[in-house]
Amino acid sequence: MNNLTTIDTSAAGSTAFYQPQGNEEALFMHAYEHQLPVLLKGPTGCGKTRFISYMADKLGLPLHTVACHDDLSASDLVGRHLIGDGDTIWSDGPLTRAVREGGICYLDEVVEARKDTTVVIHPLTDDRRILPIDRTGEVLEAPDNFMLIVSYNPGYQNVLKGMKPSTRQRFLSMSFDYLPSAEEAAVIVHETGVDQTIADRLVALANSLRELKDQDLEEGASTRLLMYTATLIAAGFEPLQACRAGMIEPLTDDAQTIVGLMELVQATFGTE
Amino acid sequence: MEERVGQVWDRWITKLAYQGYPEAAVQLDDVKAALGVFYRGLGGDSGLTISATTPTLHRARRNWLHRVAGTGSKVELAWYDERCLYLPQRLDVYPQADLNRELYFWLAALAGTPASADVHRGMNWLVDNQQRCLQTLSLYPGLKPRYQRLVEAFIARRDPAELKHGGQAAVLSVVYQALRDPGSVTQLPADDFAPDPVPLWLHPNPPRAEGLHSEDNGKDRDSSQGQSKEGEQRRRQAERVEKPEENGTTLGVRHEADLFSYAEFCQMDRGCDDEDDLDQAESIANDIDRMAVTQDSTPVASRIKFDLDLPSALEDDIPLGEGIRYPEWDYKRQVLLPDYSCIVPMESRNAKACDLPGHLQTTARRLRRQFEMLTNRSVRLRSQYDGDELDIDAYLQHRSARATGRGDDGRLYSQKRQLQRDLSCLLLADLSLSTDAWVGTRNPGEDCQVIDVIRDSLYLFSESLHASEDQFAIHGFSSRRREHVRFNCLKDFGETYNDSVRGRIADISPGFYTRMGAAIRHASALLAKQPAEKKLLLIVTDGKPNDLDRYEGRHGIEDTRKAIQEARCQGLVPFCITIDEQANQYLPYLFGRQGYTFIHRATELPKKLPQLYLKLTGKLLEH
Repeated sequence: MNNLTTIDTSAAGSTAFYQPQGNEEALFMHAYEHQLPVLLKGPTGCGKTRFISYMADKLGLPLHTVACHDDLSASDLVGRHLIGDGDTIWSDGPLTRAVREGGICYLDEVVEARKDTTVVIHPLTDDRRILPIDRTGEVLEAPDNFMLIVSYNPGYQNVLKGMKPSTRQRFLSMSFDYLPSAEEAAVIVHETGVDQTIADRLVALANSLRELKDQDLEEGASTRLLMYTATLIAAGFEPLQACRAGMIEPLTDDAQTIVGLMELVQATFGTE
Repeated sequence: MEERVGQVWDRWITKLAYQGYPEAAVQLDDVKAALGVFYRGLGGDSGLTISATTPTLHRARRNWLHRVAGTGSKVELAWYDERCLYLPQRLDVYPQADLNRELYFWLAALAGTPASADVHRGMNWLVDNQQRCLQTLSLYPGLKPRYQRLVEAFIARRDPAELKHGGQAAVLSVVYQALRDPGSVTQLPADDFAPDPVPLWLHPNPPRAEGLHSEDNGKDRDSSQGQSKEGEQRRRQAERVEKPEENGTTLGVRHEADLFSYAEFCQMDRGCDDEDDLDQAESIANDIDRMAVTQDSTPVASRIKFDLDLPSALEDDIPLGEGIRYPEWDYKRQVLLPDYSCIVPMESRNAKACDLPGHLQTTARRLRRQFEMLTNRSVRLRSQYDGDELDIDAYLQHRSARATGRGDDGRLYSQKRQLQRDLSCLLLADLSLSTDAWVGTRNPGEDCQVIDVIRDSLYLFSESLHASEDQFAIHGFSSRRREHVRFNCLKDFGETYNDSVRGRIADISPGFYTRMGAAIRHASALLAKQPAEKKLLLIVTDGKPNDLDRYEGRHGIEDTRKAIQEARCQGLVPFCITIDEQANQYLPYLFGRQGYTFIHRATELPKKLPQLYLKLTGKLLEH
């Protein structure tokens, strides 16, 4: 299980801060009540995972998050026999655990996973809501409070990776995007404690960087990166230095692009 | 001797009169890439490329040294139009290199900041530039200290009090005030001369070539074919003039030639000039202020070499059918013009079956071996957590680890996995006349043309894809205006790759222009019909989209971009392989930063091709 990242969050604790973008909360509640699986689309770091944590807290459900990667196979999700000293022990994967215990199973960036994983989740997404486990001969029926959520970023271009229409059509889908400037700045102020002017400038800078997507950058600056940068500034780092480490360097490796972007940072923040 | 003294004097006096600081000069080429990112990040039009401007005449007063040296009448200023952002080729306004560099970024910021409603471009140079400064500084407060530094250093160069002409001093003071406090000046004091050029502002009246990019009137001549490298980077001022009557007396022309400089001489009829000395013509073109160009239905000698007319029906490839119509994107009006261009599928008339050329045999063999690895077959993966068989080696290792008290992670199985790949690839090759150019040496002592590189690429791609058993098709395209976009079929999807396909590849020849949008639309339509799950559209080209009509320049770029977006919407994956060294100026706009790659020689292909193909098709062996 060493190639699997799962984060299990218990329902206890304070509710995470979340800034709604539209009616996603109502849609999510409806999906939960009617036991429908949900697909979240949107660019990296725009708040998909945050939204799920928030809803899990709100509904008091345990959250099983699986960060999918290109080595993730069906047995990583379902579970496997581990060989001990003289005997074998069955070990549940995160999906099986979620189906047994109830709660939200969130497959983050699901298209990154191997193709055989989609075969496993299909019977959980239709009205049967079952998880057959060939190895143990079990067929688990999902409890009422089980919910399957998957997310992916349609912006990434890869010839062999994409979601098949047949899979896509099994989910209730919601699109996420970066928050409007004022709200994004408010989130940054709330989360990091930087002053409003800094937050506004950071968001303005991020919007400029997002404009460069596809031409100069592979991906625009995410709210998460803004948050990192704001944290650095709040901790006393120079804004130029913080932007470089928190936003510019993570976005590109191209030396000339970095020079150009740093000029942009300087035009926005310049403190000479 | 006399001539030599003259040269030395000229050099000395020119240097003395020069007001820049060449030792602190910053070249546009060195900052261009970063400037582009900066300009687009500020909100500048991402369809524009950055190009060097041309010196333009100004009517400001020159000092006595300038007059003696005969210099100082021209200045390079920044401006932009719908195609390019033009900046001076080098900046040496300040004695410090970092200030000159900052000036580049300031000019880019001035041009890139979205203009407010108060800015009416070209209406009033003075007010306009001040408004732009205000707008830029309010949006980007970080630029304020830099701007102030640039202004103060600029002002420090010249004290108005030292000027002898009162009018000039008054004008200069007011300009300085406008620089220090933008928005505070609305009018300049009266003076006999125009005010001195301000390098911190945009060009007062960008030189525009009226009529050069007129609508498709059937008379436009493409100007980019055969243009020199410098010619591509520098923009020349041109004006349309009426073509002089050809029956003028030759004697008169010769007399005038003696009397006037070559600038005026150039304005005369050169319609029948054979233009042997192109190098000299180019250096003259760089020196003259304004070139006169005229429209003429008779192609001059250099044009005849480019073979604008279609070959006779007997010689030409065989057209298949009447042609298929596709729309074209008009970016100015933001509409698709329905049925605007016509694709004419062609079949080679003279192709003869042949074998793979000798110089590619070794490379092809190596590529075939690599690509055979990618065929749809199964592999057995060892040391897996799960699998259909026990991996004996892993089990023994596990037992011995246990026996010695060490732990392991229990990967004891071997797993058989089917490597399935459902992929179709259409390769679209640019066969326009520009591929006739020479690009370097293929083998020692053997020069090669772009078309040779493209031909070799087609061979190697075909050999590789044939080995990997992927479905693929190869087509070539060229165009002569919208009504005749030639689409040569080299290999169809249903066809097997064999000697007759190789023969067709051997038969490709350069001709005509590059109406890329229509060709991409047709190729997309062909590829979209394929049943494969993943569809790759590879475009091999050597340059920008262009054609005889308005397709040259921004229109062609925007139409191609639209065609690529349409292909993406159909679920295709477009990717461009280019041989154009300037490609990084416009290809990111067309294909995205990840959507293209640059190759220089066919000899680089064996190295780049497998990498490229694997990158595009993902980590195939893992899936």
